[in-house]
Amino acid sequence: MNKIPESLNEALQYLKEGTYDVLAGGTDIMLKNRGYAEAPVPFKKNMLYIFNLDELRYIATHDEHIAIGAVTSYASMLRHPDVPDILKRSIRQIAGPALRHVATLAGNIGNASPSADGVLVLYLLDARIILASADGEREVPIEDVITGPGKHTIRPEEMIKEIRLPRRTFSNTFFKKVGARKADAISKTSLAGAARLHDNVVEELRIAIGAVNVTVVRDRSIEASFKGLTLEDLKARVDEVAAAYDSLIRPIDDQRSNARYRKQVSFNLIEAFIRQL
Amino acid sequence: MAEVTFTLNGEEVTVDKPLNMRFLDVLRTTLDLTGAKEGCGEGECGACAVLLDGRIVDTCILPLASVAGRDIVTIEGYRTTERFQVLQNAFVKEGAVQCGICIPGMIIAAESLLSENPDPSDDAIRTALSGNLCRCTGYNMIIAAIRRAAKEGEGLW
Amino acid sequence: MKNISKSIDKVDAHEKIAGETAYISDIKREDMVYAMTLRSPVASGTIRNITLPTLPEGYAAVGPEDIPGRNLVTMIYEDWPVFPEKRVNYIGEPLMLLLGPDKERLASLLDAVEVDIEEDTPVLDYSHSGVHLHYEKGDSDKAFADADRIIEETYTTGYQEQAYIEPQGFVGYIEDETYTVIGSIQCPYYVHEAVKVTLDETDENVRVLQAPVGGAFGGKEEFPSVMATQLAVALKKIKRPIKMIYEREEDMVSTTKRHPSKTTIRAAVKDGRITGMTSHIGIDGGAYIGLSEVVLSRGMLAATNAYTIEHLDVDGDVYLTNTVPNGAFRGFGAPQMIYAIEMFMHHAAKELGEDPFSFRKAHMVKQGDWTSTGGKFRDPILLDEMIEKAADISDYHKKRKAYEDENVYKGIGMSWFFHGCGFTGSGEQHIIKSRVEVEKDAQDTVYIHVAAVDMGQGPKTTLRKIVADVLDLPIERVIFDYPDTHRVPDSGPTVASRTAMIVGGLLARAAKTLKETWREGEAQKVEKRYQQPDYVEWDGECMKGDAYPAYSWGVNVVEVEVDKHTYEIDVKDVYSVYDLGKAIDERIVLGQADGGQAQGVAYGYLEVMSRENGRLKQTNMTDYIIPTAMDMPKTDNHLIDNPYPYGPYGAKGGGELTLVGGAPAVAQAIEQAVGRRVRDIPATPEYLMELIHNG
Repeated sequence: MNKIPESLNEALQYLKEGTYDVLAGGTDIMLKNRGYAEAPVPFKKNMLYIFNLDELRYIATHDEHIAIGAVTSYASMLRHPDVPDILKRSIRQIAGPALRHVATLAGNIGNASPSADGVLVLYLLDARIILASADGEREVPIEDVITGPGKHTIRPEEMIKEIRLPRRTFSNTFFKKVGARKADAISKTSLAGAARLHDNVVEELRIAIGAVNVTVVRDRSIEASFKGLTLEDLKARVDEVAAAYDSLIRPIDDQRSNARYRKQVSFNLIEAFIRQL
Repeated sequence: MAEVTFTLNGEEVTVDKPLNMRFLDVLRTTLDLTGAKEGCGEGECGACAVLLDGRIVDTCILPLASVAGRDIVTIEGYRTTERFQVLQNAFVKEGAVQCGICIPGMIIAAESLLSENPDPSDDAIRTALSGNLCRCTGYNMIIAAIRRAAKEGEGLW
Repeated sequence: MKNISKSIDKVDAHEKIAGETAYISDIKREDMVYAMTLRSPVASGTIRNITLPTLPEGYAAVGPEDIPGRNLVTMIYEDWPVFPEKRVNYIGEPLMLLLGPDKERLASLLDAVEVDIEEDTPVLDYSHSGVHLHYEKGDSDKAFADADRIIEETYTTGYQEQAYIEPQGFVGYIEDETYTVIGSIQCPYYVHEAVKVTLDETDENVRVLQAPVGGAFGGKEEFPSVMATQLAVALKKIKRPIKMIYEREEDMVSTTKRHPSKTTIRAAVKDGRITGMTSHIGIDGGAYIGLSEVVLSRGMLAATNAYTIEHLDVDGDVYLTNTVPNGAFRGFGAPQMIYAIEMFMHHAAKELGEDPFSFRKAHMVKQGDWTSTGGKFRDPILLDEMIEKAADISDYHKKRKAYEDENVYKGIGMSWFFHGCGFTGSGEQHIIKSRVEVEKDAQDTVYIHVAAVDMGQGPKTTLRKIVADVLDLPIERVIFDYPDTHRVPDSGPTVASRTAMIVGGLLARAAKTLKETWREGEAQKVEKRYQQPDYVEWDGECMKGDAYPAYSWGVNVVEVEVDKHTYEIDVKDVYSVYDLGKAIDERIVLGQADGGQAQGVAYGYLEVMSRENGRLKQTNMTDYIIPTAMDMPKTDNHLIDNPYPYGPYGAKGGGELTLVGGAPAVAQAIEQAVGRRVRDIPATPEYLMELIHNG
């Protein structure tokens, strides 16, 4: 049976006792299961509808991190002062206003698309996902939650409860989504970058690239290899930075773009990010 | 089937339909409110838009379950307001309506914008309309209409 | 007389804004069933067997064996079956209908149908010509023999989907033993004829009503006849009201689109001027010819656009492929050809080391010149003035120079173009034979009886305005209901930019007669029939003479900026100047300008529809990209009066004109921004990347 739980505990109890797909804003899962007008949506499993679970609708600022509840809409994240600017920049490019009023980060994570713009920034920010079950909670880095297109490690008895964004300051951030039009488009490719500089030396460099592999690309060892360089040295070696990602950028041809374009643009964006530091 | 209760155009209603019905179909078929239209069926075009707690949402990708306890205003409810009169007049005067199928959704988008930002720039209007597709107008006359409504309806929002 | 161009409130706007207008999907009938369509999963094959599941009580299947009359949809060229009997020719081709009261149940029955088709190799390239057309003027062989230089280029254009926001739909029912269909359509009498022939019924036993149309753009010209005949066959079999509304995806997969094309132009150049030209345009017709021959012909007739070329040889082919049939879309073959010739003239100038603007202007058509088919441009041509105006408002010349700097990644492009008004050649006289009626009742209320459809372009307002103005009555006293073939004569289809000029012209004449014979408090009726202007001479066989009675003209300027990292195209500004004779309502025409340009410009750079092995890759509004409010820039559109003696108040055609120049203008702008020649549209970021990296 489909359920509308009144509380998180009730939701977790259902998940313990039965098999459900969880629907938050529903903007992804409604499409994936689309049937015909004037007929119920042919979902493959029973559904747990949590859109109105108000206890998961929050943004809370803690010393070390920002906590975002699972059914918090993108639109409310845009209005909150503590949500990192780079995440807001990505959210502004997700679909249109109507979708942003209901769509959630948690839903995008559960959908596990490598081209989801909000999720890209979660990789960049080292987000951690709180997965809750009737037996307790676990905190998992975003890259360990999503394993491939539509694939994730969330157990059947678990649901996403919260997204935690560590509070970090960067000297410079970069976000570019490449869609087929200026709004209301799915990414052909996208890149988020962040850097921390001290006395002209690169202390930290982060790069996340979307829609060019089965999951968002983020490689800490490549990032570490450019640590400690002066800004001038880094810029002089910009081609090396791009080349380091060569084997990770393995896009496909599809109805939205082609692999050659995605690869070339990813390199160009890496370059653009480094050059504007 | 399950009973879902929500506020619709100011009145509490309960419908007994499968939770996985698209809310658009509940409005159009069960409740006979056909002002929200189906254009794309996947949340791209905005022809099916209504206000949920005062904000624009697309009902073709909203399951009935999600409106439980929420406040819904459709074009049928909104058209009884003074704000609507101002928008309607502005849309007529600026020639913003061609085939008209997208227009109720555009009105909902305009209300959602103006209630948050009563004096929007052209860019803000374009952003607010970016999830509502129109194939007839090229949008400029719709943008002019919203600009005009904001001016003529000063104080209403 | 007051100025007819002064805008009034559109008569149907208030109720549309309020959501009160009942479009086709808003209509319900008592005891109604739904129709769903079983479609071919393969591009080419022979049906061996279709096995249906057991149908519950109240459910039915309808296929080719149920057709009482002829199993061909009546349209200009008749090769399109209502339901195929043996051969299937494209993915998505309708094989049969399933009908029943519950959508969920119907969907599961549809899933349970087993379709056994022996698949064979589809034709997907330009190899099978279904129609070949040719015309010539002068002696192009000699021009080429005498040339000091020959320039040749090839251009391609992609599909374009109409992407009306309201999918196709019909409701059908039997009333007073009459088969009645109401639909989102452009041409009530096309549907009427097609249903009549398919059902083998009399004129009186078939009735077609127009529902308010939620966008059409040509997409609801011939395709609705296919859908309506299927529905009518089902109606005759099950005798219950039926509702048939396409889902967006099935609409995109199975309805007509703008033909992809490939055009090769060769020019003979002598002393720096083009003296002769040969062109070949090939369009992809899809699986059935349908309207494609007429689309091809309009394209070919635009072979020299607004240029005078003395010696000319033009060939064209409709190629048949195992893909969804293509058909009418605003512009009707002209956008493909005008794109090609505008780019060609621009490129030819560059080849010759001449300034493209001056080179093009030196070849520009003037009043009194021969047309491409040896007809005559009789009326004043104001292009000089219009180009000057467009250049002035856009600051074209200064920007063109500034953007030559290869580091700026900006560009500006200008196109100029015509559109022939009304049906080609003697089509109005010999095929359409348009009739209109103006009637008045004893209360002196006046009724317009025409089959012209308001699909947003405004005839509900403009036709009333014409009649009211002639009769000097307030517009409220002139009624124009949605067309109903039981009430209105056949004033022709709502296509070819003919409604204001032809239907409006006939109505103005009818109203004038009514005024002259007006008898207070008495019922009266006036009928008028189309009469071709005496000067029009057209030989359809040889494509010689006056292809159109009149031409509308336009100039578009488009400015872009290209992102050097992502090759994304940002359309900055659009400027335009149009001569469509006289605007019957200025704001309505400016609305056509804004919307037509959006479609035309997007055709050039944004809208991608492609296919792989006969299967379309973009089949929904998420993947088929049309502009949003953020993509389309502000525009600066101007109209210039140039009244046409045979049009009402001087009006010519306007609906299509505003689309045809968008693509070459944006493509020229992009070409300047990236410093590479653009030959193929849509000029997407992917294409620009290849141009930049590989020349």
